[in-house]
Amino acid sequence: MENVDIKLKIPSAVFYIDPVRAFIGNLAKNLGFSRKRVADIQLVIDEICSNAVHHGSIDANVGVKLQITNKAHTLEILVCDTGSQHKGQNNWLTHERLSEIEANRSPSNEGGHGIFIAKSLSDTYEMQINAAGGTDVRVGFQLLNNTENRH
Amino acid sequence: MDSTKLMKLREESGIKILEIKTDLSSYAASDLRKVLEELLAEKVEKVVVNLSQVSHINSTAVGALVGVAKRLRQNGGDLKICALADNLTRTFNLIGASSVVEIYESENSALAAF
Repeated sequence: MENVDIKLKIPSAVFYIDPVRAFIGNLAKNLGFSRKRVADIQLVIDEICSNAVHHGSIDANVGVKLQITNKAHTLEILVCDTGSQHKGQNNWLTHERLSEIEANRSPSNEGGHGIFIAKSLSDTYEMQINAAGGTDVRVGFQLLNNTENRH
Repeated sequence: MDSTKLMKLREESGIKILEIKTDLSSYAASDLRKVLEELLAEKVEKVVVNLSQVSHINSTAVGALVGVAKRLRQNGGDLKICALADNLTRTFNLIGASSVVEIYESENSALAAF
């Protein structure tokens, strides 16, 4: 498997999430991930980029940064926002807010599922406050073997 | 691009059928919500959403469908979903939305369920 290190920056607008989702989906497919796993990866990217755009950006010009690496049979994607200044805080995902979202998640709720989906479908998941005062979300997907079932 | 152009509405036996012909990612999800809100404003009671041509759906779009289904039920109507690809079914199951919204294999079976 090829080593990959790709950096992207998109404007903080949902319009730009689709091309990123398509790109990462094609990359994962070419790396040998199964069709089912590619769909999982694309959904996770959609969810965490959507959170970065909706909750983690002061305005569209600031942008959302992505770093995509592939090492040791693991596709890792880092999504960085710069904070929203919501309620006087740059970082939208305080520990209290995260706990509140997780505690209140319900199938009948219209929102609040994105983090749950990303955690559920990724092999590794990390969130932390970054130097810009925003949020870094890092997800990893392991390629089980070089001949992962493509179906 | 305005993705509402890829959301076709028709009517059969008093039931509105919304056929989606685009992936429901973050961008299209807001258009889906707009189309569904318009149906609510028109006092439509029965809606079937056909997802046979959708290969991706995110939680925002699922949330829009769940929200509108709940509001329609308050007025004696409902929103039913049909023809999901396997990965879409997995997304609904993961969120738990398949216990909130009725899902059918085909458009005919969804229509017959009203």
